[in-house]
Amino acid sequence: MIALDPAANRPQFINVRVKRQDGPGQEPYWQLFKIDYEPELNVISILQRIAALGQTSDGKKVPPVVWDCGCLEEVCGSCTMQINGRVRQSCSALVDQLLKDNADEIVLEPMSKFPVLRDLLVDRRRLFKALEKVKAWVPVDSYYNMGPGERQLRAAQEQNYPLSQCMSCGCCVDACPQYNKIELERKKDETDEEFRKREEKAWDTAFVGPHAISQAMLFNNHPTGKSIAGERLDALIAPGGIQACGNAQNCVAVCPKEIPLTTSIARAGRATTIHTIKKWFEK
Amino acid sequence: MSNQRVVVVGGGLAGLASAMKLAELGVAVDLISLTPVKRSHSVCAQGGINSCNDQTRQLGDNEWKHFDDTVYGGDFLNHQPPVKEMAYWAPKVIELMDRLGVPFNRTGEGFLDRRRFGGTLYKRTAFAGATTGQQLLYALDEQVRRRESEGLIRKFEFWDFLGPIQDETGRCRGVVAQDMVSMEIRAFPADAAVVATGGCGLVYGRSTMSVFCTGSAASRCFQAGAKYANGEFIQVHPTAIPGSDKLRLMSESARGEGGRVWVPRKPHDSRAPRDIPASDRYYFLEERYPEYGNLVPRDIATREIFDICVNDGLSVDSERMCVYLDLTHIPKAELDRKLGGILEIYEKFQGVDPRIEPMRIFPAVHYSMGGLWADYVKSADGGLEAGAPANHMTNIEGLYAIGECDYHYHGANRLGANSLLSCIFTGLFTGPSIVNYIDNQSGGHADIDPATLSGAVSKQQERHDSLLTGNPGSDENPYLIHQELGDIMTRAATVVRRNDQLTDAIEKVNELHDRAMKVNLSDTGSWSNQNVIFAKSLQDMFPIAKSILGGALRRDECRGAHFKPDFEKPSLTAEDPAERRKQAEEWCDAFEKNNDKYLKSTIADYDNASMQPQFSYEDVDTSLQPPRPRLYGLVGADIIEEVWKERAEAKKQQPQMASS
Amino acid sequence: MSDSNSDSNSEPSFFTRHEFAIRRLHSLTGIVPLGLYMCVHLTTNASLLGSVEIFQRAVFLIHSPGPLLPLIEWGGIFLPLLFHAGLGIWIAKTGRSNSSQYQFTSNKRYSWQRWTGFIGLVYLFLHVMHLHGGIHAESWMDAIYQIGFGQFSPYNAGSSLVNAMNLGYGIIWPVIYLVGVLALVYHFVNGIWTAGITWGLWISPEAQARATKVCVAFGVILTVVSLAAWAGAVFPGKEDVAEMRAIEDRMYEAGVVAGTVPENEHKRDLRGRAAAAEESGDAADGEQASTATTEPAS
Repeated sequence: MIALDPAANRPQFINVRVKRQDGPGQEPYWQLFKIDYEPELNVISILQRIAALGQTSDGKKVPPVVWDCGCLEEVCGSCTMQINGRVRQSCSALVDQLLKDNADEIVLEPMSKFPVLRDLLVDRRRLFKALEKVKAWVPVDSYYNMGPGERQLRAAQEQNYPLSQCMSCGCCVDACPQYNKIELERKKDETDEEFRKREEKAWDTAFVGPHAISQAMLFNNHPTGKSIAGERLDALIAPGGIQACGNAQNCVAVCPKEIPLTTSIARAGRATTIHTIKKWFEK
Repeated sequence: MSNQRVVVVGGGLAGLASAMKLAELGVAVDLISLTPVKRSHSVCAQGGINSCNDQTRQLGDNEWKHFDDTVYGGDFLNHQPPVKEMAYWAPKVIELMDRLGVPFNRTGEGFLDRRRFGGTLYKRTAFAGATTGQQLLYALDEQVRRRESEGLIRKFEFWDFLGPIQDETGRCRGVVAQDMVSMEIRAFPADAAVVATGGCGLVYGRSTMSVFCTGSAASRCFQAGAKYANGEFIQVHPTAIPGSDKLRLMSESARGEGGRVWVPRKPHDSRAPRDIPASDRYYFLEERYPEYGNLVPRDIATREIFDICVNDGLSVDSERMCVYLDLTHIPKAELDRKLGGILEIYEKFQGVDPRIEPMRIFPAVHYSMGGLWADYVKSADGGLEAGAPANHMTNIEGLYAIGECDYHYHGANRLGANSLLSCIFTGLFTGPSIVNYIDNQSGGHADIDPATLSGAVSKQQERHDSLLTGNPGSDENPYLIHQELGDIMTRAATVVRRNDQLTDAIEKVNELHDRAMKVNLSDTGSWSNQNVIFAKSLQDMFPIAKSILGGALRRDECRGAHFKPDFEKPSLTAEDPAERRKQAEEWCDAFEKNNDKYLKSTIADYDNASMQPQFSYEDVDTSLQPPRPRLYGLVGADIIEEVWKERAEAKKQQPQMASS
Repeated sequence: MSDSNSDSNSEPSFFTRHEFAIRRLHSLTGIVPLGLYMCVHLTTNASLLGSVEIFQRAVFLIHSPGPLLPLIEWGGIFLPLLFHAGLGIWIAKTGRSNSSQYQFTSNKRYSWQRWTGFIGLVYLFLHVMHLHGGIHAESWMDAIYQIGFGQFSPYNAGSSLVNAMNLGYGIIWPVIYLVGVLALVYHFVNGIWTAGITWGLWISPEAQARATKVCVAFGVILTVVSLAAWAGAVFPGKEDVAEMRAIEDRMYEAGVVAGTVPENEHKRDLRGRAAAAEESGDAADGEQASTATTEPAS
């Protein structure tokens, strides 16, 4: 670890270049900030210091950088952004490590596949909508006390648990070459409701993304979740379904939780193949 | 029936459980959350969720013992009827979560696996790896998404709750909230509102809590007239990883799975931990608490770790205080299976593999036992009256408080793996109560006086606008004020509390509050302005901070997480049995006397004019299990226990004799 | 940046509704018939390196369906190819390669799959025009022959091939073929690997790693075969051509006599030898050429 290196090796300042944007549809611009070096910083603490500092490297007073964060321990999925060109969680992006790769500066950009709301804050509603599309839930009858669920073998739990750790951070889709940004502009005469409907329609026919495919496989492997397995597979062969996957396998490479997304995708590939053939013969 | 509308504020376990249950009962729900609900702070809970179960039952456990452990661990400041109800619901709650698809760890035969947690001798805790909170939250999030797709729930994510809407009778008729993206402020009219907004760790600057756990939502209710109870009871988790942005939790499950806490006997021993032989290691928890060992309740573990570093000077590191939490004696495969998630966190944030090298940990602010005061109706069997409208209603009619931001369940100290339970339980249990409350109301959400709604909105709009434009000459920076507040609170009101420090802190916090009201914002824009959102929540931290400090100052005793060394009850010193017996009698006398005075909930009412909380005290319902001394590790515990038992017996006999 | 700003309240198109099945068909056609055909084609051509006879015999066999051949060509090769290529271009357009940003091996393979597809498509167009001509109409063939296309004569398979490769200073076509064939070999082999995931044949990372090994091995073999095929067409010199042609002619005549080869003078390299005769002015060749050139008139 750099933190253990002799003090002489430590830089005095950290240069942080941030891609900012004042609102949707506006032109992005860059600002440079200079932060005093401290050991064991992460990108979150850098952004906190920028907020407290309130000025750029040349002393210009600027509003704090807007970004999203939550737990700061990589389980909530809030703080995704592009750091030095790679999408990841900013809480687990340790400055000492980043400086090892590039001592000159740290570059922060918003995620590339979602509309920017402001600075590093993006609109990720589409991610969650995809979970609705694949019906990522167990269709229980009620929330009354009906006794325990079915017994499950440890092997099944061990297969499901990693998939269930998906925190909808969006890294997989941001790195996916088949997942494209959808940014609609609101029309003048459009109501909130109409605009939302139009957005959801556009999302619905575009690629659902690896995270949603993986969630579909998670619930298809649950004793009760299985009961609507066919509906989930139908969603996966609908427009924007699994066929849009291009097997670049970036999803699994950038997933901060190391979820076996490509295994889920291949499993979904097999399931949809069999499902389609069966459906065709049973028609 | 179908025309009922409830607004739920907060999308953590409690809020989601509430929304899901209300939707099932046919109520239309508006769910308001600062963050997409799937990112709520509940995801951070690692260890598990408690209930007695088939296995522990056969070892003598039952719901009553779970109840008893909870109130004993909470030093009897818990309200017993709700705790009892919760303990009896616990097995059912876990069964429901199992049905909802939570991937709980399994035994070889396919049953739910259980681990032991602090403050109990039974393996009650069901867990899903080391991310149980995340898994439970996701199961509820999925159900809420399902109900949302059916049109029963509307979610408003990235909306900041600004306050309840009250009509002229004081009844809550909805809430005002602000879109944190567009900055639009609007009213959400409803028949009832549920506040499930969690804890207030950010009052301490850095804690184990998520960045949105500012306590501001509870504070806004507090400032609107709701009572705030037991504020001074803040749990400091014994094991956290110190960091510059946050103190990351290292779950109690690390100790539950066999983790051992130690320091080198020689101060700042420079040898690598694995080179220090067993004889030079001080396993201080195991030595001081032979029965519970590393699994003593949290307040005790915290104090011991604090003590060993501060008073004994045995910190592992000379620069910053920490002790070893050692898992290296456990096989790697087992660690990965049971604790994979939390070990990864340590490795990721510290760059050291805890499977090879012991972790360095130190206590951190973790949970607020106190919260909004709320009512309940006791049933004939000592639990809660199911469906009673008053259950969990605050003193503002129609405003409910559940989850971490209520105050009933954890007394002076929360047992590990009980918080997830209390959140889900309160969310589910209050559903019928809220429906019954609404059924009894004459006016619904559709016929609220428009002036009431617009008045509430314009009040918030004024506050917002004046923050943006006001204080042009001031150079008060909200972020720096927050740091100062955190430092003051951490010094004065965490593990060890002294009256002189508290008095000093109160003064400083008062001053800081005045400064916070004059902050100058570096962002005066009207789009996604996080600066103004933060400034508001900062201002709203102060009423809570003042309640914590004021409550702590007034409580001259040691109870659970509230520890004042000046008022610590002494161990027995005499060797002579008769003398020792006498000391024990005196000890018990003092204990009873202290309980008469302090076994009460601290209740704060906020006075907006003076910007100060006013304190009063409320009796605690201890009707089910009479308080007894909490004697973990005290010298002479056996004899005190004996004396106490005799007294308890005598008390039981007395009424019988009188009646005969 | 917006990709779908379309404001349609209409029903999704036939293509959108059946995209899954259509893309599975795309995946399938890449392997059968196209990939399979490529393997057969390359192996056949590689045989030229062995002997002219084997190669010519194989070509006779391929051409044995006679008038049905165009049907097989179009139904089995050209139409699937046009479908695969057309959809492939659309698929490539739906994605946005980012392999310079995310330099993972699998991501580079993703980008290469698209680039080799484009290269392969351009190459195949040139290749078909260069040798095959595409349509068997005589006037078309005559016309394109003049500009260096439609050079292949099945009954003089080896010699016309070698001649064709020598056009353009003997370097342009060999380079085009080398790049094109290797691109297609990569495209095919990597396509098999991704198809295995798409169809759900190899699922776990371990299985995918094993499949990668098998695909690499297959790719190496196919590369060797294609290099052999390339060498067989590129290395023979002018003097070899005459020798090859003699052998091919003998085989043709014998075949016609034996009834194993349907008589078809259009499939013989008559234009080629006319040109060669003109160039050399050789009497013996000239005689043969004159017979040949007069043939269509008779």
